[in-house]
Amino acid sequence: MLLSLNWLKDFLEIPGKIDALELGRRLTLHTVEIENVEDQLEKFKNVVIGKIVEINPHSNADKLQVTKVDVGGKDNLNIVCGAKNIEVGQMVPVALPGAILPNGIEINEGKIRGEVSEGMLCAEDEIGLGADHDGIMILDKKAKKGQNLAEYLKLNDTVFEVDNKSLTNRPDLLSHIGIAREISVFLNSNLTKKFNKINNYDILETEDSLKELKVSIENNDLCPRYMAIEVEGVEIKESPKWMQDRLSAVGVRPINNMVDITNYIMIECGQPMHAFDSSLIKEIIVRRARKGEKIITLDGEERRLDDEMLVIADGEKPVAVAGVMGGVNSEINPETKNVILESANFEGVRVRKTSQRLGIRTESSMRFEKSLDPNLCSLAIRRAWDLIKEVCPKAQISSKLIDIKSKDKVNFGFDVKPIKLEVEWIKKRLGEDVDSNKITDILEELGFGITKENDEGVLEVEVPTWRATKDVSIKEDLLEEVGRIIGYDNIKPAMPRVELGSPEINQEKVLEKNIKDILSLGLGLSESYNYVFTSEEKLKKINIDPASYIRLANSMSENHTLLKQNLSTNLFDNIRLNQANFDNVSLFEIGMIFMDFSGDINKDDKGEESLPYQERRIGIIEASNKEDVFRKVKGKVESLLDRFDLKVEFVPSEPVLSWGQEGVCANVKVLEKEIGFVCQVDDKVLKNLGIKKKVAVCEIRFSDLFNLINMQGEKKYKSEGKYPALERDLAFVVDNKILYNDIRHEIIGFSNLITRVDLFDVYQGGKLEKNKKNLGFHIIYQSPERTLKADEVENVQNELIKKLEEKYEAHIRNF
Amino acid sequence: MKNELQKIKEEVINKISKIKKEIDINNLEIKYLGRKGELTKILRNLKNLGEEQKKEMGRLGNQIKKEIRKEIERKKEDISGYFSSRDIDVSLPGVKAEIGHLNPLTIVQNELEELFTSMGFMILDGPELESDYYCFEALNIPKNHPARDMQDTFYIDKKNKEGDYDLVMRTHTSPVQVRAMQKYGAPFRGVVPGRAFRNEAVDACHEHSFFQIECLFIDEDISVANLKAVVREMLSKIFEKDVTIRIRPGFFPFVEPGLEVDMSCTICGGRGCPSCKNTGWLEMGGAGMIHPNVLRAGKIDPEKYSGFAFGFGWDRLAMMKFGISDIRLFQSNNLKFLNQF
Repeated sequence: MLLSLNWLKDFLEIPGKIDALELGRRLTLHTVEIENVEDQLEKFKNVVIGKIVEINPHSNADKLQVTKVDVGGKDNLNIVCGAKNIEVGQMVPVALPGAILPNGIEINEGKIRGEVSEGMLCAEDEIGLGADHDGIMILDKKAKKGQNLAEYLKLNDTVFEVDNKSLTNRPDLLSHIGIAREISVFLNSNLTKKFNKINNYDILETEDSLKELKVSIENNDLCPRYMAIEVEGVEIKESPKWMQDRLSAVGVRPINNMVDITNYIMIECGQPMHAFDSSLIKEIIVRRARKGEKIITLDGEERRLDDEMLVIADGEKPVAVAGVMGGVNSEINPETKNVILESANFEGVRVRKTSQRLGIRTESSMRFEKSLDPNLCSLAIRRAWDLIKEVCPKAQISSKLIDIKSKDKVNFGFDVKPIKLEVEWIKKRLGEDVDSNKITDILEELGFGITKENDEGVLEVEVPTWRATKDVSIKEDLLEEVGRIIGYDNIKPAMPRVELGSPEINQEKVLEKNIKDILSLGLGLSESYNYVFTSEEKLKKINIDPASYIRLANSMSENHTLLKQNLSTNLFDNIRLNQANFDNVSLFEIGMIFMDFSGDINKDDKGEESLPYQERRIGIIEASNKEDVFRKVKGKVESLLDRFDLKVEFVPSEPVLSWGQEGVCANVKVLEKEIGFVCQVDDKVLKNLGIKKKVAVCEIRFSDLFNLINMQGEKKYKSEGKYPALERDLAFVVDNKILYNDIRHEIIGFSNLITRVDLFDVYQGGKLEKNKKNLGFHIIYQSPERTLKADEVENVQNELIKKLEEKYEAHIRNF
Repeated sequence: MKNELQKIKEEVINKISKIKKEIDINNLEIKYLGRKGELTKILRNLKNLGEEQKKEMGRLGNQIKKEIRKEIERKKEDISGYFSSRDIDVSLPGVKAEIGHLNPLTIVQNELEELFTSMGFMILDGPELESDYYCFEALNIPKNHPARDMQDTFYIDKKNKEGDYDLVMRTHTSPVQVRAMQKYGAPFRGVVPGRAFRNEAVDACHEHSFFQIECLFIDEDISVANLKAVVREMLSKIFEKDVTIRIRPGFFPFVEPGLEVDMSCTICGGRGCPSCKNTGWLEMGGAGMIHPNVLRAGKIDPEKYSGFAFGFGWDRLAMMKFGISDIRLFQSNNLKFLNQF
């Protein structure tokens, strides 16, 4: 929302020492965030008045002309122009190089189709002064060459841009009157007579003899108040310059005097109004739209309506979408003589829904959806009549004032009980010893009524109607009023005084941090953060059917339509991104996956339903030009789990992952529990993904690992054993199909004297037969009770060899 | 004896020059200089000589022993590496162990968690896919509340019995507020670092998936002054200097009063620069005193307890701390970026 400083000055005195920037700063600190303060002179910097002294054809373009323009400087400027309406001798606005036009275009010197152009002749719309783009804006002959356009147009306003987000709960501030009230409180300055006059308007009086407009409301709950009058004898023309200037300053396009008056009131008082051509509507019915009804709105679009929307209809057809936009069929036009002015209050939620369904958000809907004070209606209609008299002195009121209020409701249903407030409580919650009188003063200046005050300092505070719609209803709201007017900056920071205690440690978080440190600082992996989203296209590339994937209802991009069920999909993207720059890419990620079945997190406080299953995973990926990625990834997993004294086993997995290479997929098993998978990525999949390296990937369920680690209990030191250990090496050739895991289990389980088995060598090929592999083990023999004798160990070792030969057809190799 | 010594010296040096393997040089060392080595044997005979000769031969013997040892060492170096101590370039790089890199988001997260743990806060977690109830309803944002406009929410394509979408990607970490209150009651202090989502277009300043840290402090008589102190402490520790903060009104339905926290621009020191849009202030996040309706949703009596909450974009903290100008870099997973941290 934009605010005009000149407009604000209608309603309050601003001390000379407060300049516009300072005012903006104070507004930000006390009321609403001011995003920008712009002086109109600055806005039209480098836009000056020039006289066209020559017009020549463009040598390379029929539709362009080359002008010479005198802007009061030493030389005339050469400017290329495409407009048809220019003539020698005209005074026109010229944007010089360096000018930045309101539409964001920056003017530079350059060549247009081969001709030098040292600026631009401007049309109205290009400099934000109107909608006209038919030709260059032609100025008065008496205009001064070289004069700044803002000066010439007598634009001397300063415009504040308010962040709309900070107005969400303050319908009263969507107006100059509302903002003026705020400023007067925090600057402690006087409001003007005009402010007081408008705020104390009596209801508009109309003669009993006048005709009665036919108005009916079918849905009282959606329209707490509807006021209307007819005015006859208006002459539709441009509104006066002062009004156009004000509207332009705050970004509202001037249209004609009647429409401008309604807009002017909306910007000034915050009440949206609408003007109908009286001859185009027979009666006014406020009702829900009927399914299938259509209306062409003022923006020229045909809108399809439904029964969730509220319309103004005339018995036959909708003539306006209530609170959102009027219809073309009842629009004010050059022939309009009689006007019906509507000043109504529409229920906020309905307006919001309607505007959402139609996809149009207007200055009007934006105000209604925040729940406007229905008392504003009468103020606005009275103000409208004042302005019409000023702009169209011949106009007459030609109907009685219609004022329909929703029945049986105190203050239109916005009945807020007085709030009980302890002054001491305010001080305690702010943490600042504010003077009690200051507190009551602030509330009263903001329009709150202090109706009672007892000896204990308990106040009864009455909420003004413009704050009572949805904004203020509890004492915490009053705390805010006092806090922000005093200024939160004036509250001294103070650390809370609470009982000392060490916090409950979140063990999962601790583990997560440990894992990240081990993987990155210990094992050389870098940390990815991927989106939780994925897409059908991506899944297709890795042979996954997306049917079971959770889908977003309102995704903004085709790349983010589904919630991922594995970390690999997006880690593959990371490999592709980095493959050109790095020989090896080693990454990990700890992130969430989402499944389409219920998990164990409650959905609400009733606890009957659960959220979809969500799981934290650890992903590890290695990409390299070499073949060893699968073993590298497994090694990282082993090293990681070693840190937690967990021994890992890789068990061939069935079925194979859709992106895994046949025969190179395994489950990660720890203490007989499967906690994840590891696989080499299939070559075809890599090709689909555009990856030119070998890739292996592993995913581990975080919570499974967490539980296993917890089961381990505290780490305990194990002594090396009193009696010496003997080490024997054993190497043998077996068939490829025989798993290391099985052999290892066989050896370690063979005798209780064998305490450790370490694989030190494995190879295939070379002199070995096809389909054979050589495995070499260190076998550690130790007894907790005695020193082992060499021949004792030799015996066991020989038995073991025999067993391996029998069971696995192992061929022992001699060293 | 002198001749014997000279002969051994020549013999050894000649042999050394021909040696190519480490094992041979070791054997040679043992053969001549070992306990039973040939040179040792000769020197052992010194004791049989006269005083004068003993002195002379002793000196010569030791000198030759030193020279041989030097030759052996030199040979060892020649064999073991191509650098010899004679012409080592000490400025050459060492042999590096490969080390990985934590994402800067994690680095800042760790700092935040340590800081808050040291002040007695619990570190909490919550679901990223959240219910409408915890994300909005329980936070005093009923259906059709205009505040939902501000939340460009990703809804999950699953409707409940009433035919409404009631699952969302959480738009902030605040849902954990009510979950934590329901679980732990009051008094309570905790922080929630986590990922949140907004359905908006991505550019250098905006991410649809971003990172927030939520802070929650509930006890008797908690005040705005307390909130200011904790916020200032956090920012001062993260930026390792005293920072100036500015608190101004803001609107968030789950707090009353609602506050916006600005920090004096770390880049220009508050004078005004493009980073702070010439205001001298950087917007850090939303804050406020927990709304009584939210305390009630968390089964906490708002008449007995009060509390504050704030939520800051910790990705933005990381941007400021490390001078990262594009928020998209965090989730770009480009090693050229990650390798810097």
